Amino acid sequence: MEKETVKKRKELELIAEKCRRNILRMVEAGGHGHIGGAFSAIDIITALYFYKMRVNPKNPKWADRDRFILSAGHKCMAQYAVLAEKGYFPKDVLDTYGELKSKIPGHPDMHKLPGIEANTGALGHGLSIAEGMALALRSEKKDAMVYVMLGDGELAEGSNWEAAAVAAQYRLENLVLFLDNNGLQISGSVERVMNFMPAGEKFKAFGWNVLEIDGNNMEEIVCVLDLMPACKEKPTAVICHTVKGKGVSFLENEVSCHFWTPDKEKLKLAIQEVEARIGKMEEEQEA
Amino acid sequence: MMKEKRDPRKTFGAAVSEVAEENERIVVLSADSGGSSGFKEFAKRHPERYYEFGIMEQTVTGIAAGMATVGKIPVFCAIAPFVTCRNYEMFRNDLGYMHQNVKIVGRNGGFTYSDLGATHHSLEDFAIIKMIPGVVVLCPQDPGEIRAASKAMLEYEGPVYMRIGNPAMEELWPEQKFEIGKGSVLKNGSNLAIITTGTATRNVLEAAEILEKKGYSVMVIGMPTIQPVDREIIQMAAEKTGRIMTVEEHYIGGGLGSSVADVCAEYCPVKIKIHGVKKEYAVSGSYEKLLQYYELDVDGIVKNAEEFLNG
Repeated sequence: MEKETVKKRKELELIAEKCRRNILRMVEAGGHGHIGGAFSAIDIITALYFYKMRVNPKNPKWADRDRFILSAGHKCMAQYAVLAEKGYFPKDVLDTYGELKSKIPGHPDMHKLPGIEANTGALGHGLSIAEGMALALRSEKKDAMVYVMLGDGELAEGSNWEAAAVAAQYRLENLVLFLDNNGLQISGSVERVMNFMPAGEKFKAFGWNVLEIDGNNMEEIVCVLDLMPACKEKPTAVICHTVKGKGVSFLENEVSCHFWTPDKEKLKLAIQEVEARIGKMEEEQEA
Repeated sequence: MMKEKRDPRKTFGAAVSEVAEENERIVVLSADSGGSSGFKEFAKRHPERYYEFGIMEQTVTGIAAGMATVGKIPVFCAIAPFVTCRNYEMFRNDLGYMHQNVKIVGRNGGFTYSDLGATHHSLEDFAIIKMIPGVVVLCPQDPGEIRAASKAMLEYEGPVYMRIGNPAMEELWPEQKFEIGKGSVLKNGSNLAIITTGTATRNVLEAAEILEKKGYSVMVIGMPTIQPVDREIIQMAAEKTGRIMTVEEHYIGGGLGSSVADVCAEYCPVKIKIHGVKKEYAVSGSYEKLLQYYELDVDGIVKNAEEFLNG
């Protein structure tokens, strides 16, 4: 049993690395992108789609599906990368990043790409939209879950705290919030720009069930997903401690990768680093 | 003889509740605003479809969008500036850009909240909401039309903003089926066409009778859909009269008058006068005093029409 779990975790880790490569493929096409947050969030999003969520890429509008809303819409390269890997659309769509009328614009559009549930990008919208879905699904007696990811800098948007009260008062146990707590936003440290930490304590005070994990550790991610729905009559917030730019050594914890416009050499180095890891993981799995 | 008057909010709430008896997809959202929007009875009869959120209009707008993605038809009514200005980005992105089937109703629109002051007035709602692509903007003119427009907006698939007023309104004509995007000729005439909407229509009709007695032949067009604007009827009015005046309880810029002027500029250039509220934070006072002050009472409309006809 343990062996199977380790195998599954290693598979997920490999998929996450392939998704990092997909993100770099979009940067190759468009020349830039919000990759810092995309890389910090990618392990969680990968596990959601490949381990937890009840979805069907061939029928993306399936009424009983679980939903994932990326409130921090600028991290959408991560979602595009995972949706492509999952088979929602052909991977060559990734090569259109930055093109006129691309299906994968810099912030997601539900009417352009299958698998996108909401047009996020303006911060502080996703949690409310997710709650509307959770309320409606519950009233239809569907057991689908709604997962929403927020960035930590996004917590300064007051609408999130209005929504925090709603989820608790309406006891939305079918709602799970992942906070991508990489600690950095465009102007620097989240705690210095506007301190909403410790965020977990704040959600607890609103009446949420709160869990904390290392959001770049697949073992911990899988463990927390196994708990969902985690708490009767309460929404759950998972504070995910992550690293901005995770997976490319020279980008990790660098605020400059929030929106990255690399020169050819830097991009090549990043690709080499991720591909080397993929190669090694594939060898290990074959062995 | 005094015509019967009805509360626009109760009229709207009753009309939505009636449709909701048949259509279980309809849900009512409240930001501490449902009771005052005519939904007291609905809340009692259908607590499972009545959601109270407290005073958080931006979040309620987002929640409405999320509900609509699952197939609900959310109706959210509150004081007009709070469901148009306060939540504008949510209206634009979550309802407009996401094109969700949500009905937002701004009550106490225009300056019908009169002595509560400029924070509670809504004189730019047409302007800002009509700039959101794909959103229908309605402004019915009497209680019967509020009922008919409420039914029409619930049948329509897509985001709708409807403005209603506050003081009791007269029934101006028997209730008719409401067709989104269509204006109608309320009175024929040949010297001037007055195009009007919402609460202003009643006074325009009376003003037109007075102008008639003064020897002017005045056409009156009621325009309860602000967006999409009825281009054909504007062209017809321009061709028949050669002179158009618009009257609305809205800022002069950006409202019905601007939409009419846009159509005329492109398709049928004629002389136009846009009569509304000048761009300032409107003064406070009783509704009747405000109508007088901004010359939107019967005498004020007659005066402005005469000046325009003789100008």
